[in-house]
Amino acid sequence: MTGRENDELAALRAIELMPPPLTAAIESELAHLSPAAMRRPRRQLALVLAVGGLVVSALLLVLGVRADVDELPTGWIPVVAVGWVIGLVLAAWFALVPRAGTVMPRWRIAALIAIATSCMYVVLGLVLHPSGPSSLIFGRERFVAGHGCLELGLATAITPVVLGAWFLRGTTPVRTRWIAATLGAAGGCVGGLLLHFYCRIADGLHIGLIHGGVVGCAALIAALVVPRAITTRS
Amino acid sequence: MGVAKIATQTSNSLAIGTERDPDPWRIPTDVAMDLVELMARYCDGDAAAFRELYSLVSPRLYGYLVKICRQRALAADLLQLTFLKVHRARGAYVRGADPIPWIYAIAYRTFIDDVRKQKHDVVRLGNDADPEQAAAPDRDERRSEAADSELVSAALSALSRLPHEQRQAVVLTKLEGKTLAEAAEIAGTSVGAMKVRAHRGYKALRSILSYRDASPAATGAPP
Repeated sequence: MTGRENDELAALRAIELMPPPLTAAIESELAHLSPAAMRRPRRQLALVLAVGGLVVSALLLVLGVRADVDELPTGWIPVVAVGWVIGLVLAAWFALVPRAGTVMPRWRIAALIAIATSCMYVVLGLVLHPSGPSSLIFGRERFVAGHGCLELGLATAITPVVLGAWFLRGTTPVRTRWIAATLGAAGGCVGGLLLHFYCRIADGLHIGLIHGGVVGCAALIAALVVPRAITTRS
Repeated sequence: MGVAKIATQTSNSLAIGTERDPDPWRIPTDVAMDLVELMARYCDGDAAAFRELYSLVSPRLYGYLVKICRQRALAADLLQLTFLKVHRARGAYVRGADPIPWIYAIAYRTFIDDVRKQKHDVVRLGNDADPEQAAAPDRDERRSEAADSELVSAALSALSRLPHEQRQAVVLTKLEGKTLAEAAEIAGTSVGAMKVRAHRGYKALRSILSYRDASPAATGAPP
């Protein structure tokens, strides 16, 4: 680089500009400025988790617990439930809680969590799916008949996703789709948790593609719908 | 070429002259702390804190916007829009957080939205409008540009020929003094991608400047 090029960039670096005064629109808003409650990410995370738990509990009270719950291997129900809760906590954490000292959520880790949870539960469901005498096996032939679980899981995901989107409104000017997808994955984990306690269809295709697929579907739908709500707007 | 190799080259080649560390254009730590305090007071309903925040942040932010969009009038509009967005989204601020990356990210998003809107408007106008013409500075703009020094105008002109992602990377890392991590956070990309953009952008900028210097009659188009 020549001396002149260096000079040009140094001049550009040193450029000092007098910014324009505030516009009338901002001035009028400042005239009626009221205190705004600042975002408290950890409290919001706790609320999303609590609401997710409440939704699952309420729906289980209404729908009832699966009939084969006592016939499955010991510890299966709580261990898998913990797995769903871990997915929920991780996804909700990275969607809602920014790194200390920053405002925006960590979209890259959030994106990894969204992808990982979307794939992991499908694979685990396809591989691990114990059943008991009262369990139903739909198999490939009646696979489509299990679509009600997908709908129930997605419906369950709505409340935590809407709550999370409400908490995140205006926080994210960039990479909103990944943050939204992670929020959707968190909602999907709530749906998966409900299905784990409620549904007694115990074949791999159903558990993997439908119960596990709730996470991916919820992430996809949230990535399409939620960014408009959480992006920073004027 | 591996990212590590590009990173090494970038860190070597991006240095302007010998000035690299310490960066005189970075916001000092005590000012950054002031900004955190001001932002908290503003969110608590203190309008004077917003004005103070504006007076501290807007000169640099305006300079950043001028460098990425070149037109001063447009940069001034984007600056106001950015602060309006900050104002309306102030509830999203987390107490104790550094507001600068967030505000810069909002400014960049506002710029990108404007670029998309301009493209959309040009498409709607059809063949009557030429995108270059639509983006060309008006008479007032030319008058204010004439007030710039020849060096600044030349550098701005060269910068404006870079794709906007590379332009932003060069402006943030070399002209605004942001670290690669800060620049990546503002742009919503990874540090590795930011390194690559900054490296390519700087290479292209160097090529534009050296070509123009070699042929003074040329308009500044890259070879």
